[in-house]
Amino acid sequence: MDKESKVMSSKEQRLVLFRLLNYAKPYIRPMFFAFFLLALATVGEVVGPILVKIFIDDHVTPRNFEMTPIIILAVTYLFIQIANTFIMYFQSVKFQTIALKIIQQMRIDVFSKVQALGMKYFDKTPNGGIVSRVTNDTEAIKDMFVSVLAVFIQSAFMFVGIFIAMFTLNVKLAAFCLLFLPILYFIIRLYRKISSKFYQDMRERLSGLNAKLNESLQGMGIIQVFRQEERMRREFGEINEGHYQAGMRNIKVDGLLLRPAVDLVYILAVIIVLGFFGITSMQTAVELGVLFAFVNYLNRFFEPVNNVMQQLSFFQQAIVSASRVFILLDETEIAPSQENHKDAKIIDGKIEFKNLSFSYDGKQDVLKNISFTAYPGETVALVGHTGSGKSSIINLLMRFYEYNRGDILMDGKSIKQYTMDELRKKMGLVLQDPFLFYGTIKDNIRLHNDEITDETIIEAAKFVQAHPFIEKLPDGYEQQVTERGSTFSSGQRQLIAFARTMAMNPKILILDEATANIDTETEELIQTALAKMRKGRTTIAIAHRLSTIQDANLILVLHKGEIVERGTHQELLAKKGLYYKMYLLQNGLRETIEDVVIHQ
Amino acid sequence: MKVFRDLAWFFKQERKSYLLGILLLLLVAALQLVPPKVIGIVADEIGNQTLTWSKLGIWTAVIIGSGFFMYIFRYYWRICIFGSSVKLSRLLRTKLYDHFTKMSSSFYQRKRIGDLMAHATNDIQAIQQTAGSGVLTLVDSLATGGSVILAMAFTISWKLTIIALLPMPIIAILTNWYGTKLHHRFRLAQEAFSSLNDKTQESISGIKVIKTFGQEKEDIEEFRKQSDDVVQKNIAVAKIDALYDPTISAVVGLSFFLSIGFGAYFVVNGSMTIGQLISFNTYLGLLIWPMLAFGWLFNIVERGRASYGRVSTLLNEKVDIEDTSTGVDQVPSGEIDYKIQIFTYPNENTAVLQNINFALAQGKTLGIVGKTGAGKTTLLKLLIREFEGYKGEIRIGGIPIHEYKLDAFRRAFGYVPQDHFLFSTSIKENIAFAKADASLSEIETAAEIANIHEDILNFTEGYQTIVGERGVSLSGGQKQRISIARAVLLNPEILILDDSLSAVDAKTEEMILSALRNNREGKTTIITSHRLSAIQHADIILVLDEGKIVQKGMHEELMNEEGWYKDMYLHQQLESLVEHGG
Repeated sequence: MDKESKVMSSKEQRLVLFRLLNYAKPYIRPMFFAFFLLALATVGEVVGPILVKIFIDDHVTPRNFEMTPIIILAVTYLFIQIANTFIMYFQSVKFQTIALKIIQQMRIDVFSKVQALGMKYFDKTPNGGIVSRVTNDTEAIKDMFVSVLAVFIQSAFMFVGIFIAMFTLNVKLAAFCLLFLPILYFIIRLYRKISSKFYQDMRERLSGLNAKLNESLQGMGIIQVFRQEERMRREFGEINEGHYQAGMRNIKVDGLLLRPAVDLVYILAVIIVLGFFGITSMQTAVELGVLFAFVNYLNRFFEPVNNVMQQLSFFQQAIVSASRVFILLDETEIAPSQENHKDAKIIDGKIEFKNLSFSYDGKQDVLKNISFTAYPGETVALVGHTGSGKSSIINLLMRFYEYNRGDILMDGKSIKQYTMDELRKKMGLVLQDPFLFYGTIKDNIRLHNDEITDETIIEAAKFVQAHPFIEKLPDGYEQQVTERGSTFSSGQRQLIAFARTMAMNPKILILDEATANIDTETEELIQTALAKMRKGRTTIAIAHRLSTIQDANLILVLHKGEIVERGTHQELLAKKGLYYKMYLLQNGLRETIEDVVIHQ
Repeated sequence: MKVFRDLAWFFKQERKSYLLGILLLLLVAALQLVPPKVIGIVADEIGNQTLTWSKLGIWTAVIIGSGFFMYIFRYYWRICIFGSSVKLSRLLRTKLYDHFTKMSSSFYQRKRIGDLMAHATNDIQAIQQTAGSGVLTLVDSLATGGSVILAMAFTISWKLTIIALLPMPIIAILTNWYGTKLHHRFRLAQEAFSSLNDKTQESISGIKVIKTFGQEKEDIEEFRKQSDDVVQKNIAVAKIDALYDPTISAVVGLSFFLSIGFGAYFVVNGSMTIGQLISFNTYLGLLIWPMLAFGWLFNIVERGRASYGRVSTLLNEKVDIEDTSTGVDQVPSGEIDYKIQIFTYPNENTAVLQNINFALAQGKTLGIVGKTGAGKTTLLKLLIREFEGYKGEIRIGGIPIHEYKLDAFRRAFGYVPQDHFLFSTSIKENIAFAKADASLSEIETAAEIANIHEDILNFTEGYQTIVGERGVSLSGGQKQRISIARAVLLNPEILILDDSLSAVDAKTEEMILSALRNNREGKTTIITSHRLSAIQHADIILVLDEGKIVQKGMHEELMNEEGWYKDMYLHQQLESLVEHGG
């Protein structure tokens, strides 16, 4: 993993960070409000010790116990404490809310981008990776906005507040304390430089370790049968040892430079403050309250430093995740675009393929010079062996992929000229794998189309004969579909998918028949449903069982991307060519097969 | 805290590190008390204007000394305690891995790899945290908290200590209450996130349906709604989460207020100095961390306990195929004799094999055919002892196979499984998987027999080409042929090809088979296949159906019988005609 992060220079990291911060732009006002609250809270924190200083120097040391000013001091102190509590709370909630909204926007952007990508992108990218971009990577970025940014800014405010307070108390001493900034800066830089390398190394080793483990588990059968357990144990042991060493290195770096180091600097700071007051006291009297305040400030000053350092690895992780997300957002493999003639409507549903050639990879043509016409209301069937190009024809017709050689016309116009909405509304595709979504049966038939009423849904279900089995379910149409519909038989899933298409009442029907065997019970239902659905609709059907398309107006036999035979069922049988053999394979008697095979 | 008892064996094993680590932690806790004390003393000297250069020098040295030692000690306890915890995770990982390599197929049938991975990653992580941060937090919070309170009470004023600590229980009570609420809301937020994850997964798997029905906008809208839900649930978490810091700072502020107020009173009546008051307040600041740490500790320990429980259960799984101590320590060779009455997979009811009786003389070739699920692969898995527990016996060279020592037994076999699995290393290492010291010429010969040599030379890196996600993606046929080369390289007594030619074309299949025939003179070969052409030349062909042998004989004999074999043979001939376009 993390291939990108390794080559990411600090300049690239900065670019990613700026782009990330850009997402905060719409929230600039509420953000400034949150900052304002933060500033108030910081003032409150900083003023507390000053009040105590006044109390010690003006009242306790000179034993001056006039009640009114003391009460004022006490009330002010308590008031600030209480007000601060509320301000801090609201500030924190506000800030987190903004961060969550920013991440939501980013998620929606990524998700929308994914929806706009062409099928080609999905072919070359594993699904898991895309899901990870949308959810996990954005979650890592959320950590950065919620904790890292908040801690950084809070610490920065605290820094500034404390220094202002120190300067008001004693300019000289405060100036001395400023000397610690470069030391701290140096430690942080050094830590970041060393630890980011070591941390990265450990993460890589961990992912190597997990990869090895995963692979071993998957290939355990092979490992055992080839008696390589010992060797694999040794190899795993080595990787494990490497990971251990990396872990130890990290602990050492953290130990040398993280908290212990900051605490050491704190001690130095204490010495400077004590020394300063001590030396001064040898010449003149010193206000002990100021000493108290300084010591107190030092305590508060070093806490944010520790916090910031602890956030650095989150920061690193967020940058890596963000760069991955941006790579996806910048992806150029988008879905084919339309010329969008708004008034172009599909009325008759005549489909014409004209000299269409197509290749997925630009090297090998999967379709070669395909031409045919499907007249309104007619059925054209595509048959052929796996890889003959049937599915590619449908992929192009549905505009899943862009083509450049030849054209597909609908009612005489190129399909590129219609709006996507029009195409989708008029063409109904029934996929080989009837994908069911999480939700009820009703949701699955309607999808998100609000124009489809409950009556239409039931009508559609009745039409494809899915109604009887749906009705028998405990919750009928409200039955929840679980685990991608695995509780239904494949035939039932198929029928639900039919109903989904019928509810749209498309002008053109595209059928991609399932190869998987469907239980004989539903098989018949499906065939009747298909016959009904095709009536009055231009249909392009991929058929695996030739018996289902015997009445097609035109059957195209494809082989390696070319139409090798065309005609009606009877014509093709009479030819005794490829179609005839395919037919025999499915329906032929042994004797006839023997005949054909032996006389070849 | 039960998990600390569960891990006692490890603490004992690493007692030197832990004892040293804890000792150092205690020393740090004690040293921590020095600077505030010194600040107080110096402040009083300053206040009384009695400070001299030498006194200042001594006190500075004391603080520097304590700081320096704290730095060293802090560094070393980290090495001791965190180092041990990393050691524990290394140890547990090794144990798990060893255990995994000993478990048989029935174990892998029951478990999902994802779950096993989770145990080896997340659970071990949680245990490591318990043995590291858990121990640290426990010791440190007790040590720091205890020593600070003692220092406050005994070196400054026990009265003021009680007064200042009065508000502290509020922190414990409130954070505990927040904790329960937070836990609940956090779970809801996690659920919302995981359902958003599911939704994304679903949309991407169903992208074709979404595009087909033009539902992109609606789907994005639904995603927006779900992500809204995630935001709302997380804001609910934030609303509780954000309570912690203000609450603590309010209570600590109150505590400070009380200590300053009453402290001033004590100063005035002479029972305390201003310097002591300053020390006292600095101590108070040191108490915040132990308070927080305790709540945190419960969290870590709770997770560690659950994880350790899961990992132990896994490690306690019995190894089910083990060597008998008196096993025959020789590589099997000779006639293979099957006499199986019945075999059923563990935890299943239907018999997979019934009445399998046949003998295969040494050096002969056996072909097994039949429909998917007829029991072909199971028949082989029993032979290589992936499963046991059948009624009957399988003998090789007259000795029942379970009497051989497993390691010696497996030396006899070269196995090419149905689901060709390659490791993500170079092609060379994959072929030489079972014989890491094979020479390049041996490897090339095996590759030539498997008809993959030419393909390999065509890759830019040749035999060094890396396979898998990080390297070239091979076709199914190429993977199958590399798997064959891997088995052939061993020149095994018995070579098993389990439907391992399904993804190569007929011509290649023929070339591989004839190369094997030449190469394996006098050695036994077993082939299962869907395609009958692969076993056509076998000395015996078994036709299996529903776990039983329905036909047996040589190709010519079977072609003269009416039955499944002949039907299928003709059918496949026609199929190959269709494939080639008539």
